[in-house]
Amino acid sequence: MHELPQQLVNGLLLGSMYGLIAIGYTMVYGIVQLINFAHGEIFMVGGFGALTVWLWLPGGTSMWLALPLMLIGAVIVSTLIAVGAERFAYRPLRGAPRLAPLITAIGLSLALQQAVWAWYPNAKSSRTFPEIPGGSIHIGSVTIQPGDIFLLITAPICMFALGYFVMKTRVGRGMQATAQDPDTAKLMGVNTDRVIVVAFAIGAAFAGIAAVAYGFRYGEVQFRMGFLWGLKAFTAAVLGGIGNIYGAMIGGLVLGVAEALATAYMNDIPGMSQLGGQSWADVWAFVLLIVVLLVRPQGLLGERVADRA
Amino acid sequence: MGVNAIGPVEPGDNTYETRSEPADEIAAVPVRTSTLFIRHRRTALALATTVIVGAAGLSLYLTRPRPPEPPPPLYPSQTVSVAYRGEMTHPRAGDRTFSFTVSLRQDSGPPVSVRRIAQPTTALSVTAAPDTPFTVKTGSPRTARITMHIRECGKVQRNAGLPFLVVTLRNTRAMQIQSFILGSEYAKDLSGALTAACPPNTDVMSKTP
Amino acid sequence: MRQRSLIAITAALTAGALTLTACGSRDDKDKEDAGGGTTVVIGVDAPLTGDLSALGLGIRNSVDLAAKQANAKKYVDGITFKIESADDQGQPASGQTNATKFVANKDILGAVGPLNSSVGESMQKVFDDAKLVQVSPANTNPAMTQGQDWNGGKKVRPYKAYFRTATTDAIQGPFAAQYLYNEAKKKKVFVVDDKKTYGAGLAATFKDEFTKLGGKVAGTEHVNPDTKDFGAVATKIKNSDADVVYYGGEYPAAGPLSKQMKKAGAKIPLVGGDGIYSADFVKLAGKEGKGDYATSVGQPVEELPSAKEFIANYKKAGYKEAYEAYGGYSYDSAWAIIEAVKKVVEDNDGKLPDDARAKIVDAMQDVSFDGVTGKVSFDEYGDATNKQLTVYQVKSTEDPTKGWKPVKSGTFTG
Repeated sequence: MHELPQQLVNGLLLGSMYGLIAIGYTMVYGIVQLINFAHGEIFMVGGFGALTVWLWLPGGTSMWLALPLMLIGAVIVSTLIAVGAERFAYRPLRGAPRLAPLITAIGLSLALQQAVWAWYPNAKSSRTFPEIPGGSIHIGSVTIQPGDIFLLITAPICMFALGYFVMKTRVGRGMQATAQDPDTAKLMGVNTDRVIVVAFAIGAAFAGIAAVAYGFRYGEVQFRMGFLWGLKAFTAAVLGGIGNIYGAMIGGLVLGVAEALATAYMNDIPGMSQLGGQSWADVWAFVLLIVVLLVRPQGLLGERVADRA
Repeated sequence: MGVNAIGPVEPGDNTYETRSEPADEIAAVPVRTSTLFIRHRRTALALATTVIVGAAGLSLYLTRPRPPEPPPPLYPSQTVSVAYRGEMTHPRAGDRTFSFTVSLRQDSGPPVSVRRIAQPTTALSVTAAPDTPFTVKTGSPRTARITMHIRECGKVQRNAGLPFLVVTLRNTRAMQIQSFILGSEYAKDLSGALTAACPPNTDVMSKTP
Repeated sequence: MRQRSLIAITAALTAGALTLTACGSRDDKDKEDAGGGTTVVIGVDAPLTGDLSALGLGIRNSVDLAAKQANAKKYVDGITFKIESADDQGQPASGQTNATKFVANKDILGAVGPLNSSVGESMQKVFDDAKLVQVSPANTNPAMTQGQDWNGGKKVRPYKAYFRTATTDAIQGPFAAQYLYNEAKKKKVFVVDDKKTYGAGLAATFKDEFTKLGGKVAGTEHVNPDTKDFGAVATKIKNSDADVVYYGGEYPAAGPLSKQMKKAGAKIPLVGGDGIYSADFVKLAGKEGKGDYATSVGQPVEELPSAKEFIANYKKAGYKEAYEAYGGYSYDSAWAIIEAVKKVVEDNDGKLPDDARAKIVDAMQDVSFDGVTGKVSFDEYGDATNKQLTVYQVKSTEDPTKGWKPVKSGTFTG
């Protein structure tokens, strides 16, 4: 059990990334009831945006300078793609049956994946991502990598900023209003089109930040990374209660910790040695999801709301 | 000179002056150098000829049509094969040696010298008959009797699936230490011999004197 | 409630759709001027996109080079060789589709590929039913030539049309075990695999031999190679006090695993098979990759004169991608098909017979020539008779293409 603290940290780090990506699913769903399945790919292009900035910078640029620029690059690329997708792919379908934008999202996801595959130089296999220099930090029995410190600092800051934005600002309150009842909100003078664009943009920006964290943690980005991570983040959003921004973060953390603990301890349980290990972690994560949904169908923090549809 | 052909009937003002200049004096300077050349003509000519002939010869030599250089011999590990030929002795419990036969064949190229035959574990040591080093030539395979000495029963690897002999080979190209994996029959026989010599339950008292 | 069931349905639908698209295949036909006479097409199946594309493109290019050389030398009178490549993305389902497509194309008289053993297993029967010869440069699973019970001593060849130039895991795994236990003096291993045919098979043969030699298994773990997060696994390895990690699988996961476990504090080497012997491994593992080992089939290229010629020709042909671990084996696989075609054509008065495919399968059994990787011929199971393997170690990481250096080589003469 002496590795428990380390495994918890592993899980929390993994979960923070799930959470950051899950924000995008949950915000868009909360406001337009659309599951934006292209969101995983928006995360992926963010990673390539950051990589592009790094490749543009002259060799030997200090990471202190490069990191903010890469973040900006990732956020810009992700946001532009997401806002563009909203404007040209989803908005024309706003009155259409629910399945239409959903299929569009799947199509968009494939298009983005193939576009990066085809046009980004040497992106047909993994591209290496720069590292944050420096040794790892030891706190008791826990080791933390320099690349993870970025995530440890960024994820909470992003969450608090988002919470403040939604609760305290005018646009944020407009969002809440639109989420509760778009028609009434419109009548009350909320510019719902703008609110929707902002929701897409914030989700995409968070995905871009998560992509930079991904690059630093795993040292590579590749055109297929959006699929699995998008799916996991979507799971996290549902687990936490889709539509609830804190739920997305909590769902991500719970999922990450569950995966880490399943990897670490499941095969120590007598009789479970065949069902443990990292390759079974996904299975246990989904078992957890099913159990939670059985007990609380609205997710951990979701509110039981009357179905509008 | 042109003067002789259509020269003036009468000499002009300076005619004599110019003509009167002693020919020797005018030629003086060139003569000195030319005499130098004349004096050393033979040496110079000989030198020049030598240089030219030498250069021509060298260039001919350098551009001569050469037969393609014979390719360097292959690395010894690519031409030598070692095969297990059986004849494993059957040691009894407590025996410290057993032996078997291998054949070594050289497929092509210059002879290869077998410098050393060993095996990877520290629990065994190896001697070969004929004694190493010996030579293997193309076209005449050799057999060698390998004797294994058990040093420490406790560390013997009784049922390795892929035991091999480590053979040091040398030819004019390179010296190589190559592992020859002798296949499943060797694995089986070796395992049998080791198990017989060092029965599993004697591990405790396994230290050899 | 309608909304919630909508979520469930769409989630299922999307997962299904995305999985299917991952299996889609893309093929690019390499058109060449047919030099008159008959055209024989050699099919190439390999992962041309995705994580493993570095190895796959090396295979495709090397087969292409073999076809071009045969045409330039007019090696088979009246026959022009062409290649048709298909992308399997490392997916068995795509491989099977591609195999069916190759079988349907009457001009295809032989196929080279695939890279992955799991893909190869899905193709064997399709090719065998059509009597279309298949030569894999990279499949290392012993069962593919010697039957499922190869380890129990009952070797039965399941498919007559299947051959390979690569050495099997039955040799590769144990050889690594011998090297690590006896020479690198590693006594406790942590075994990780990716549960695929290749990875799990290799890890099993390694583990078996390592324990037989007296080594201890400090732990085992199976990973999902698609996720790059090995944090939890790295922590387990660190706390297991193993002195070496064996990974059965390929470099896209092995590289990040090596990096993450060393950063987590497990400063022990990672060892794998030919699936991690790639410059991309060094790239992905970064400077943490230094000291890691890989076994690979065949001898170090710099010791083979025939390989030098291959490398020079490959360079001259101007391919964008490196030939990687299987370039030489792919060239030899293609050349074996060319040799078999030559034999069949010459036995039939310079023309292709009507049952060319079946005849080529028969001719393949007796093919023998000096290839890039040494003497190429096949035993009664369709395995290469030339079984050489080498242990490599990552010595430097500044230039990934020059990172691996040979430390030990062996010959299997069983």
